[in-house]
Amino acid sequence: MVTKTEETQLNRLESQVDNGGGGAWEYLCMVRKLKVRRSVKVLKHGLLILNDSKKRSSLGPEEWTLYEQVAVAAMDCQSLEVAKDCANALQKKFPESKRVGRLEAMLLEAKGSWGEAEKAYSSLLEDNPFDQVVHKRRVALAKAQGNLTGAIDLLNKYLETFMADHDAWRELAEIYISLQMYKQAAFCYEELILSQPTVPLYHLAYADVLYTLGGIENLLTAKKYYSSTIDLTGGKNTRALFGICLCTSAIAQLSKGRNKEDKDSPDLQSLATAALEREYKQRASDKLSVFTSGFKSLKVSS
Amino acid sequence: MAEDLVLDTAIRDWVLIPLTVVMILIGILRYFVSKLMRSQQNPDAKVVREGQVVIRARNLRAGANFIPSKSFRARRAHFSNEENGLLHVPKGQGQNPQAQMFSDPNMAMDMMKKNLSMIIPQTLTFAWVNFFFSGFVAAKIPFPLTQRFRSMLQNGIDLSTVDVSYVSSRSWYFLNLFGLRGLFSLILGEENAMDDTQRMMQMSGFGMDPTKVGIFKSVSNRDDSLEVASGLLNLLSTGPRFAMLAVTLLLSLGHSIGLLFFTTLEMSLACLGV
Repeated sequence: MVTKTEETQLNRLESQVDNGGGGAWEYLCMVRKLKVRRSVKVLKHGLLILNDSKKRSSLGPEEWTLYEQVAVAAMDCQSLEVAKDCANALQKKFPESKRVGRLEAMLLEAKGSWGEAEKAYSSLLEDNPFDQVVHKRRVALAKAQGNLTGAIDLLNKYLETFMADHDAWRELAEIYISLQMYKQAAFCYEELILSQPTVPLYHLAYADVLYTLGGIENLLTAKKYYSSTIDLTGGKNTRALFGICLCTSAIAQLSKGRNKEDKDSPDLQSLATAALEREYKQRASDKLSVFTSGFKSLKVSS
Repeated sequence: MAEDLVLDTAIRDWVLIPLTVVMILIGILRYFVSKLMRSQQNPDAKVVREGQVVIRARNLRAGANFIPSKSFRARRAHFSNEENGLLHVPKGQGQNPQAQMFSDPNMAMDMMKKNLSMIIPQTLTFAWVNFFFSGFVAAKIPFPLTQRFRSMLQNGIDLSTVDVSYVSSRSWYFLNLFGLRGLFSLILGEENAMDDTQRMMQMSGFGMDPTKVGIFKSVSNRDDSLEVASGLLNLLSTGPRFAMLAVTLLLSLGHSIGLLFFTTLEMSLACLGV
């Protein structure tokens, strides 16, 4: 995760570099360290360093890391010629390297020759079955081809071994959601909440999935998780506030006529509505009428 | 008397400095040799998996209150049921990493290589020092020390009358052997300098990988602690706490505190009662 201070630092460096203030190498190092995706900038500033032979040689052995970084950024920007040049330079320097092999397989992938890329990745995995990056690339490859079930299979196989990798769980959850397999997605979000219990986004996504699944039990749980999202974000998450209202009305609808033991719901809903109303008044007062009329219908149904 | 001892400058030129230089060179040489001999270690699938299982189980234990109790119970069963749970270690198996180590020839080979790269140069230099420079005083440290240091600083000289601040050549060798780590970390980079004392410890532990033992221990520990966590879970069920937190938070944000105060009080009491 990128913390807030790191992000501001990065943005400051970026604007400094953009305005010709120097510090390009520091910026590139930071991008690499934080693993953020700023390919256009990386490509631009990285190429400037690489094309200047004096600057390049002053990096020493770090030069090759820069080649790799620029190559990946270039693939992301579809400047395949640049990526190819970088990969060739690395190939010349490290002819036997697996890492360069990975880069070349990625180049094939970027070109869209799926079959060859798949073959290259498989042979890389045969040499080293624990290369997490290659595993993930294969998933991305399957996803790029639109083969979502294949991607799910690969991810499941990967997670069987690397089950503490929360990024993979997240990807799996998103794929499941896109295939409307909500039960499986719920499991993945549970796993994500377990690994990072204080990230409100996972709570929110989990609540969304539970709400979509429906059923009184899931709705009650969804409401709890919307509540936890509100708690974790300090009441700033509009989606969670809406979620509370929707959940409450759905629960009321389902349990109509039944004696409810859940006493806190009217409070929570009215509070959430009040918070939403306040938010609308502050940010978009012209939409307030739409909001109130929309909520009237919600209340009528409840 | 001790003050009368005057050291020949030739001792400095021919013993003290050469000994230090040789020790440094040997340290560097050994680093490169061990780098050459280090075989590309492919991690064992089982070991990788076990490490990941332990992390996940730890997360489960720590975050047990953040997921619905039904999901927690399903996961707990997956991790620690008696037949095929991930954390369940069959009795008598995996408990003895030492036995497992001997069954793996690769590991024994690695260990031997490690030890060879350490023992051979060490014996050679020790023999060399012993042969050429034994039995005389090589240096004097500029501050006085107590008698206890005699065995450390005057190894090889059996004179009780010499002042302790004089260092014998063999002791100088030992001081170098154990004290050059800082210098190596400067020359070879921080993480590359392998401490001799560390090596010694490793040898006395017979090359046992501490992480490996740790995993086995933690696997069985997690197994127990998950059981404990499930007991706690019944006390702290997820739901009402979250709802209450959200309500109090929204209340503090909102303005209608006075109106809703009594209802919240009632509700929170109800929540606490759950």
